[in-house]
Amino acid sequence: MFKFSKFLARATTCAALAFVFCGIGFAQGKPSTRKTVKSAKVGSTTVSKVTQINIDGLKKLLKPSGRPLLINFWATWCDPCREEFPDLVRLDAAYKGKIDFITVSLDDLADINTSVPKFLAEMKAEMPAYLLKTPDESAAITMVSKDWKGNLPLTILFNSAGEITYSRNGLVKYDVATAEIDKLLTTTTLPN
Amino acid sequence: MAANAQGIAVGAAMENFSLPDITGKMQTLDGLKGKNGSVVVFLSAQCPVVKAYNERINLIAADYAAKGITFIGINSNSTETLDFVKSDAAIVGYKFPLLIDKGNVFADKLGAAVTPEVYYLDAKNALLYHGAIDNDRSGKVITDQYLRTAFDSSLAGKKIERTKANAFGCSIKRVAK
Repeated sequence: MFKFSKFLARATTCAALAFVFCGIGFAQGKPSTRKTVKSAKVGSTTVSKVTQINIDGLKKLLKPSGRPLLINFWATWCDPCREEFPDLVRLDAAYKGKIDFITVSLDDLADINTSVPKFLAEMKAEMPAYLLKTPDESAAITMVSKDWKGNLPLTILFNSAGEITYSRNGLVKYDVATAEIDKLLTTTTLPN
Repeated sequence: MAANAQGIAVGAAMENFSLPDITGKMQTLDGLKGKNGSVVVFLSAQCPVVKAYNERINLIAADYAAKGITFIGINSNSTETLDFVKSDAAIVGYKFPLLIDKGNVFADKLGAAVTPEVYYLDAKNALLYHGAIDNDRSGKVITDQYLRTAFDSSLAGKKIERTKANAFGCSIKRVAK
């Protein structure tokens, strides 16, 4: 017997899954904007959208957009990365609309639909989230900063011209980060 | 990233150093190096990336010990107690000495920042290769064996094409200053 309620429930779940994961794996190199939907309900679980990028995608993300850019490089296997995440979420809330803030995960690609979005959802993180997969991590690391060796976490602030004005290679210090962002914002003219 | 900015350049000689191993016995670079050189590798008992590499590191160490290149493990993490490091080393079964860099003085001197991070030295302690072991943490899709390639080139008397490669890993946990 056809049960419409079951059909509807299944259709809703399928639509939600497609909504969440349709961009994964197909959006390499395309930076999202802050208007992008970052999470959705799948059944009773909220998962965050994580977009896979390669080195070209990272390059595009690093391209100056006219306003300050804060990037956090992290991984679920990195204890201090997980530890500092609540402060990153606080920073995002404090500067939403004033700066661009994105996170780049260095987890395995196999984790892009599992542990990475799960952790971001637990943190209630709303920053656009990416996962970098490249066979030449060395080139990616140097592209971010010539002084960086790839040790996580790294939180790095670029001014509107794409120059590094602050970086923290270790647990982020919230007060220091806000002072650096404030300092940068006082000298930045935001685009219309 | 101040600690990362220091370091030793490829081609420069690493000074002989003296550090205690996990049994407390003092060891030196000159006393541990092989006839064809040595590898100083920064490790961690806690870092998941190091855990993913331990089997590979032991395999490479065994393969090249027979060719006169010895491995020297260094733990510079201030957050890892000697007992923890010793118990982890026993579980892993490192095939080479593991030295303790208390206060991360040696790591600071080299500018080492990541675990795992290797410094491949020739018989005269000149740095030949620095950085990552290979290009895949998981070990599933390695397409570039940086360290093995450097060994093979050097042992064959050829130029090492890639002398430096970074990779994402854990931070060496330094003492607060």
